[in-house]
Amino acid sequence: MSCELYKSEMYAWRPGDDVPDSRPLLDHLATCPECAQWFAHFSASDERIRQAFSEVPESPSLEAKIFADLAYERLQKTRGKATWRSWFLLPIAASLLLGVMLGLGPWLQEARLSRQVATLLSQPPSAEINSTDQRQLLAWSASALSGDAALPPELSGVEFRAASSLKVASHKAVLLKMKNEDRASLLIIDARLTAKNKIKSFHETAGSDSRWSDGRRTYVLLFRGSEQDMHAYMNRMGIVT
Amino acid sequence: MQITDQMFNDWVKKHQRLLFGIAYWWTGSRTEAEELTQEAFLQAYRSRSSLRDVELVKGWLVGILRHCHSQTRRRTKSREEVSFDEMLYEPESRPTLSADALALHQSLEKLKERHRLPVVLFYFQDLSYREIAEALELPIGTVMSRLARARQQLHELMKAPTKLVLMKKAESL
Repeated sequence: MSCELYKSEMYAWRPGDDVPDSRPLLDHLATCPECAQWFAHFSASDERIRQAFSEVPESPSLEAKIFADLAYERLQKTRGKATWRSWFLLPIAASLLLGVMLGLGPWLQEARLSRQVATLLSQPPSAEINSTDQRQLLAWSASALSGDAALPPELSGVEFRAASSLKVASHKAVLLKMKNEDRASLLIIDARLTAKNKIKSFHETAGSDSRWSDGRRTYVLLFRGSEQDMHAYMNRMGIVT
Repeated sequence: MQITDQMFNDWVKKHQRLLFGIAYWWTGSRTEAEELTQEAFLQAYRSRSSLRDVELVKGWLVGILRHCHSQTRRRTKSREEVSFDEMLYEPESRPTLSADALALHQSLEKLKERHRLPVVLFYFQDLSYREIAEALELPIGTVMSRLARARQQLHELMKAPTKLVLMKKAESL
């Protein structure tokens, strides 16, 4: 076999391999100084590549994000035992699937939502109604949205102190400020602009947000603080993280 | 075998860094890698009953990551359409890239996907040919030939530094 063929075999060889197939190559290296020198360069370059691969950035919040997804998934599974609800949601799920198949619409909507979230984190709108009466606030929110303003179960533990109405990507929306936490507010949008049944968390320079959808509406928890602080708050309030 | 939530949580803690690293070199983007890793663990949780042997959990997770990656590539623009500047100037990665890592990003960008996927598994995690074959659902002979070609291309690409890499090297002097 020629030196060129042995060189091409070297690309298939890996350090530490001691299989019978690599015996002829190793024997050749022991007797051909030119190939041995070439192989030494190759090995050094290979080690340099291996070292470069070890440069992976840190991702300190990734584990928390994965556990947030899993907690939400587990909760949905527990709730999903009410089978009538699955059947009820089936037409909505089918419409959503069709929507995804139709193209990039959801992706563009999510990008618009991100821009809106960044704006709201840095410049929230002034309140249009201040009240400690939760029923009054929710009734006002219902009038700003289409239909009822009943909150999903994961938000049953939160209370609000003010609300304002706005538009997000041409959809009706309300921003509710939390009662016991100045840094937190909840954006409810009358459309599905993010993944269904999955909490996605983000961190921007102005703060953090967690967003999810029940298929009909999108809920975004805005938090002027770090992602860790936001998850701690969500845990305290019983919002799944 | 029943896979409990506690067992699955332990796997997340143990393997999330591995999956994130692989996804990072496959996509060239920290943000995309995070999303891909999240998606892979969610899919893995949903299909955990399909794992036949808990000893093979690492390869099983990498296989699911590969599946999620191919789904994502179909949905979004291909990596070839992402400009290198876009990847390089991802704010979180800019300050920490060495000249070699920068050259590696550029080189991987030029590889075809069928070569990039196995070569990342080979170098980043030092997986055996058999493990790579199982994760990518390919015959072992195909993996060996693709890896040989991929390594040859990678060595050649890394030998010829681009203008950006030369600038980076000059910065570090």
